Amino acid sequence: MKIKYKFFTLLALLLVIGIEAEPFDSTYIAKPSATSLLKNANIYDGEGNEFLGYDLLIKNGKIEAIGSDLDTQTEDAIEYDLSGMWVTPGIIDLHSHMGVYSAPGVKSSSDGNESTSPVTADVWAEHSVWTQDPQFSLALQGGVTTFHVLPGSANLIGGRGTTFKNVQSNTVQGMKYPDAPHSLKMACGENPKRVYGSRRQAPSTRMGNVAGYRKAWIKASKYKQNMNSYESKSAEAKEIVSPPTRDLEMDTLAGVLDGEILVQNHCYRAEEMAMMIDIAKEFGYKITAFHHAVEAYKIADLLADNDICGALWADWWGFKHEAYDMVQENIAIIDQARNGSGCAVVHSDDAIGIQHLNQEAAKALAAGNRAGFNISKARAMRWITSNPAKAAGIEETTGSLVKGKNADVVIWNKNPFSVYAIAQKVFIDGNLMFDRQDVTSKPVSDFDLGIIKPNANRTQ
Amino acid sequence: MKYFKLLLSLLLIISIDTYGSDTLIKNGTIHTGDGTRAFIGDIYIKNGVINSIGNIDIEASTIIDATGKIITPGFIAPITAVGIIEIGSLDVTRDDEADYLNMGFSIFRAFNANSTLIPWNRSNGLTSVITLPQQASMPLAGMGSFFVLDGEMNVSGMKDMVMLGKIGASSGSRSEDLDIFENLIGLGKQVRNKNYEKVLESPMAEFFELHPQDIEALDKVANKNLPLIIETNRASDIKHLIDIKNKYDINLILAGVEDAPLVVDELKESGIPVIINPMDNIPNSFDELSSSLELAAILNKTGVTIMFDSSRSHNYYLMRQGAGNAVAYGMNYEDAISGLSKTVADVFGIKGRGSLVKGNFADVVIWESDPLEPASVPLYVLIEGKEMDLVTRSSRLKDRYIEKLIQN
Repeated sequence: MKIKYKFFTLLALLLVIGIEAEPFDSTYIAKPSATSLLKNANIYDGEGNEFLGYDLLIKNGKIEAIGSDLDTQTEDAIEYDLSGMWVTPGIIDLHSHMGVYSAPGVKSSSDGNESTSPVTADVWAEHSVWTQDPQFSLALQGGVTTFHVLPGSANLIGGRGTTFKNVQSNTVQGMKYPDAPHSLKMACGENPKRVYGSRRQAPSTRMGNVAGYRKAWIKASKYKQNMNSYESKSAEAKEIVSPPTRDLEMDTLAGVLDGEILVQNHCYRAEEMAMMIDIAKEFGYKITAFHHAVEAYKIADLLADNDICGALWADWWGFKHEAYDMVQENIAIIDQARNGSGCAVVHSDDAIGIQHLNQEAAKALAAGNRAGFNISKARAMRWITSNPAKAAGIEETTGSLVKGKNADVVIWNKNPFSVYAIAQKVFIDGNLMFDRQDVTSKPVSDFDLGIIKPNANRTQ
Repeated sequence: MKYFKLLLSLLLIISIDTYGSDTLIKNGTIHTGDGTRAFIGDIYIKNGVINSIGNIDIEASTIIDATGKIITPGFIAPITAVGIIEIGSLDVTRDDEADYLNMGFSIFRAFNANSTLIPWNRSNGLTSVITLPQQASMPLAGMGSFFVLDGEMNVSGMKDMVMLGKIGASSGSRSEDLDIFENLIGLGKQVRNKNYEKVLESPMAEFFELHPQDIEALDKVANKNLPLIIETNRASDIKHLIDIKNKYDINLILAGVEDAPLVVDELKESGIPVIINPMDNIPNSFDELSSSLELAAILNKTGVTIMFDSSRSHNYYLMRQGAGNAVAYGMNYEDAISGLSKTVADVFGIKGRGSLVKGNFADVVIWESDPLEPASVPLYVLIEGKEMDLVTRSSRLKDRYIEKLIQN
């Protein structure tokens, strides 16, 4: 009897734990870091400010201060003299498929699109991630400290995306950005209608796409209602009524309706984005960002009015009909909409592009200023730091060099808006993760190890 | 003001079009493209040709002040699909694939002088391109042509001036592909007095259902009358291709070569020029595990001749960004400029273009700043001395919507 009692207590306890600790939660814990003083640097703080010849103090893995002649007041502090060099926040990519489309790009690593049904809200990109993808290290060497991995765009609703720290770990949980919200990948236009239309199933048209989203949200609204009505019952009532059966697909969509999961919407054409905004209003959710959005400039004010970011390329076009109307000023126009209240993000969607987001921002900035805007480099730096942090829901902890935020920092040899600028040192949570002067600091994935010559590593 | 500008540019175009008109570009920083250091000077253009370079004091119908500006030859992209693909995912706008022919396939007559890619790439500094067919499953695909990007319906360029091929990971074995490649070259060597029909009787020609045009093209490759670009990456493939070049004495150019650092001395020794994308450091396949951002610098220091390719379709001018990254990681700057211009002309036998020297066509670009900075754009693009309009479909869209944005 006693044993049985204990067993049930244990079971109850496990159930409680099971509810509180979500499966696949981040297990990342920052290692203790030294106090570092970056002296005499030119700094873009990621909030739109430029400081020339200032110091940046990193303490306990956090940004402590930007100022003149800062003193560490710590004996074991590491000092870096950065005269003539530049410091920025760690670069953040809001649109990556690293880990789900790993290198080498072989069939066995093609894990980004669950293109077996137009709505797969039940899948999570993180369940596909290969921790040994050699692309992570390359991105780190390009200054990328944080990236958001999304499912592909084959489906109307492709599943959950996850934000990662660019750290080495043998588990996905060990790379996950702690407490970062999930996203939901949705896709407009040509891709879903091509994938399913070619199989003679819905959707095969853009109107089929819209019907597909709305049907899914109608189901999700009902599911959420059922869940809520069960949750609001008294403890006694709950004993009598069995809870509604959990549905993974509906869990994700209900999470969006509850505002816990952020919608990242692949969408190129202006009129389709406007449709998606109406669908979001119809069902009471918010679109966080339109991705790729080659035609965002045509509805820049509408996006600003609805507080939707444009996560964009500097100049990609022509690979599809919906990507035909590219203007290099797209990013600047989004930035300048409604008196500069727009949210512009430079994203990569590409393992090469992610390493050079600073160059992509430089192209977009130059195009914008040639068109008559007067955008500073300090402001444009937000496009690859604080704006993607905001769109990934992690702006409280990273994306700019503000006291108390994680010390995710990049040191560049030259102004980062130049093609000749190369990231020299990259810090995550105050820890030096990559130092160009020390070839052994390059993270070497298991894949890289001894693959060409047994005694060498691929990246050296 | 706008109309005034329009009127002015119209007048300018009319004046330049007039036969015998001349242009003097004053006081620019000139990179001639030949790999030597830039100098400050003037360029005098008459009848579409560079008449002289240096300190020139002469009256000209058009004078361009290039003080503080950079002058380069118009860049030549060696690997593009300009004029034969308008929209990648729309087959009806693509003419890059053959149904019937093999190596004899020519894309020349598919070239659309009104493609939006022409003004777009031209306004970003390309004055001519090599347009290639799509790589087929065969080791050798069809032939590419050279096109001047003046957008004229009377197309200037060089028809069927290069063949394209590929060796590497395939559905079968690369070893068989190398055998087939050698055998195809062998077929070309067999041709006597343009008697293609006779060679068609060989088992190889019959198996691949080759046509007289295919044999004709192979004849040219085998007898060094047609340069051959082979896309390849793995070190072992590069080595075998070097051997084949030496055995058959063909005009071989290698593209990709991401594993080249492993065989860099052999590559240098072979004299084979390469076309690389310096930004592609992704080990996309098991053929390119040595892929790195240092590739250009390693090849450059060894003395291998380098040209550039961009990773994205449509924006072929972005080979400038690749060249800029190559320089950032250690390639010589002037060699990078050459790689975008004179090297391409030299390697592919493009006469009268690619460098700013007396007697060459005046394909000239004047840049607002360093052309290897991808944010930099041309202020003037001249093709055969004629100032090109820098308006593009994209700039028209931009103007339309920026106006709307300001109105709101």
